[in-house]
Amino acid sequence: MGLLEARGVEVTIDGAEILRGADLDLAAGELVAIVGPNGAGKSTLVRAVSGLRRPSAGAVHWSGRELRRMRGRELARARAFVPQRMPVPAGVSVREAVTIGRSALLRPLGRMTRADRAGVDGALARAGVTGFAERALATLSGGELQRVQIAIGLAQEAPVLIADEPTSQLDLGAAVDVAGLLRELADDGLAVLLVVHDLALAAAVADRVVVVHAGRTEAAGHPAEVLTPERLGRIWHADARLTAEGGRTALHVAWVASR
Amino acid sequence: MIAALVVALLVATGASLALGAVKVPIGEVLDTILGRGGSGPNHQIVAALRLPRTVEALAVGAALGVAGAVLQGALANPLASPDVIGVTGGAGFGAILILIAFPASVALVPVAALCFGLLAAALVFGFAWSGRNRGSTGKIVLAGIAMLSLFTAATTGLLASFPERAPSALFFIAGGLTNAGWEGLETTWPYFAAGGLLAAFLIRPLDRLALGDDVAASLGSRPQLIRLGAGVSAALLAAAAAAIAGLLGFLGLVVPHVVRMAGGTSSQAFVVPASALGGAALLAGADTLARTVRAPLELPVGPFMVLLGVPVFLWLLRKAV
Amino acid sequence: MSRRLAALPVALAAAALLLALLVPTGAGAEQRQRRIVALTPFAANTLAKLGVTPIAVGQTLGGRERLSRKVSRVPILKLSHPMGPNLEQLTALRPTLVISSKTWAKGNAAMEKLGIRVEAHDPRSIAGALADTYKIGEAVGRKHAARELLKRMRTRIAGAESGIRRHPKVMLILGVGHAPFTFLPNSWGGSLIRAAGGELVTGGAGSASGFERISDEVVVAADPDVIIAVPHADPEDIPALTRYLKSDPAWSSTKAARKGRLYVSVDNSLLQAGTDIARTITGIREAYLHN
Repeated sequence: MGLLEARGVEVTIDGAEILRGADLDLAAGELVAIVGPNGAGKSTLVRAVSGLRRPSAGAVHWSGRELRRMRGRELARARAFVPQRMPVPAGVSVREAVTIGRSALLRPLGRMTRADRAGVDGALARAGVTGFAERALATLSGGELQRVQIAIGLAQEAPVLIADEPTSQLDLGAAVDVAGLLRELADDGLAVLLVVHDLALAAAVADRVVVVHAGRTEAAGHPAEVLTPERLGRIWHADARLTAEGGRTALHVAWVASR
Repeated sequence: MIAALVVALLVATGASLALGAVKVPIGEVLDTILGRGGSGPNHQIVAALRLPRTVEALAVGAALGVAGAVLQGALANPLASPDVIGVTGGAGFGAILILIAFPASVALVPVAALCFGLLAAALVFGFAWSGRNRGSTGKIVLAGIAMLSLFTAATTGLLASFPERAPSALFFIAGGLTNAGWEGLETTWPYFAAGGLLAAFLIRPLDRLALGDDVAASLGSRPQLIRLGAGVSAALLAAAAAAIAGLLGFLGLVVPHVVRMAGGTSSQAFVVPASALGGAALLAGADTLARTVRAPLELPVGPFMVLLGVPVFLWLLRKAV
Repeated sequence: MSRRLAALPVALAAAALLLALLVPTGAGAEQRQRRIVALTPFAANTLAKLGVTPIAVGQTLGGRERLSRKVSRVPILKLSHPMGPNLEQLTALRPTLVISSKTWAKGNAAMEKLGIRVEAHDPRSIAGALADTYKIGEAVGRKHAARELLKRMRTRIAGAESGIRRHPKVMLILGVGHAPFTFLPNSWGGSLIRAAGGELVTGGAGSASGFERISDEVVVAADPDVIIAVPHADPEDIPALTRYLKSDPAWSSTKAARKGRLYVSVDNSLLQAGTDIARTITGIREAYLHN
């Protein structure tokens, strides 16, 4: 029994069918990348399995428990959802934000114990943000903020971390940073679900890749097996080829049609 | 910072009990408070007039401060205040309806203010939760503005139809406390309590909401429910406050900002209690000034709130920005 | 025998002396127990006529109340909405009875909570004023004096109402800013006009408050013989309002305006219940109704 099992998930938004039957599995310690063209339903899929949006059909189970029945603290303990970009409130420091993440585990009027404070320190350390823990969120760069968002998620001490396009708005250096962090966390035993645009990045960090196309999960498997030139052409309508060598992955794209 | 607010609160409370139109020696004031008083007019003045009024000032000030804090947190809007959710407009209409059209039933004023205040808030949330984008901040604010305009127009219409009774209504509109004994609190304390309790339970959820709807959902909260809860809490507190003290603006909007700037943090675990303390101190202090500066005349409390609050606000603003 | 006869007048004299000492003391003790505050001019003046001096009288801000000279030395309590007098000051006076008005309903309720006895009297008719005069007399233990006073008042009022030769159509209008309100028969001014022999014209309005907002068109349609306008404003604004009312273009087509029978009454006598009813009626007949 995997940490996450989703079958036949359908989501309709404002009358439009966004997801028409998607499947997803996740086991401990694996990093699964969800890829697909714009509008395919990648974000909708992860938001649906996370409980952020109610599916109109389908079954989602977290460690065997039905998502529909999960609320509050139980939900927070099952998975941590890291959005692409969270609003940056004024007057909140990194440590305060991560503490808020930790408070999800407390009873409504319960106090923070020493264990909780240690949990916050742990989350800060694992995400590599202890160095600027006292700074205000508003003063952070894109990459630093993304790390803090991951730290907030880690503070929930859930076995699954779901990140929705964490690198899409970051520059190369910051993206490499965050990608490395996520791979490290997976290596340490965290199950990571990652929505990405960048196919080369997906191929580099993911254990498995799931392709979402037109509201359905098309294929799932090892990056090299799934991201074939044929599939890249059919689904992304691009003449491209994925290569991996010497620890680097690259996407070779015929950007301009040959004359 | 909390310590400074508690000190301010104690000073304001003490001044409110000790000062008034009639000079009561401080010894007698203390005696009365400690239950040792006799039965002379001084004892009556402190026990039956100043004590309930002081407690009212503290309750109303705290309630409005908390209402502003939870609304600003829930709507992520620094200009949010109890007026925004339509409560003050509705409460004003309800009170003036009684004052002007049924002046013999003056005891019903707090009840009418409560009912119409809550009705207005219910309408605002009803509209904001219908249709698309249920419970979004934009919808709540717009619905609140519409409701405020509606009730303000209705109130103006009432006033225009009975201009000879306008003076008693004007006092309510300007906002202020009166020496009406414990009656007001007897009617409204359940609403203060319910609103305050709800606000206490909302402190952590509001902090989560500050990190965005998605992070809040990740942490197991339901953003729309938090906003609704904040709206209900603010409505209860603001309607009860209006029932006692009329349409007092300024406090709910400014006090949360002042404590945020002074405390250097937006953490609701600090802002909500601090707004309660700050609001209570401000109103008790301002009311004391309003009824002593030109005694025996009791001036409206609004200008004194502004007099005490705005310099602090501006000074902190300079430091912060 | 002669000694017993002489003893009698001495005994009588002693008894008389004793009585003379006791009775005023008794009355004084009674008055010492009654600490009365009169918040309306009607109450203050009635008390004065009954020979009772209140310990304080009320006066509205910018007050134009007509208070009897007998209470001119009495301390004043300023009255403001919505409570009336400052309750701390009132409590410090330790009153046993406050004669108030329904205007200060909220304050009256608060006073009763403080254990002060409150009676509200807002007479809106001559009969009501006479009844209230007796009630006030009763409340302060001067029933006999009240009865005597009522007898004198009734006689004087009857005199003022006698020999009415004409009953002109009168419209009595309260000018609140530029909005006209007509006095109704159930208002103080309305009942005085009718006592003075005027036929009160209201244009068909009716309301429990004694006043009704009307349109200028109603005034013109009613076409009264006499229009009496009473300005209602702050003292500084009265002269300007008076000038406006005297030359109000909206009423210029009425009989009253054309024949120069448009008057402005600036004192409070038509607005606020007073105790010199007979004199007011006579004044109305002479100055306004000419009957």
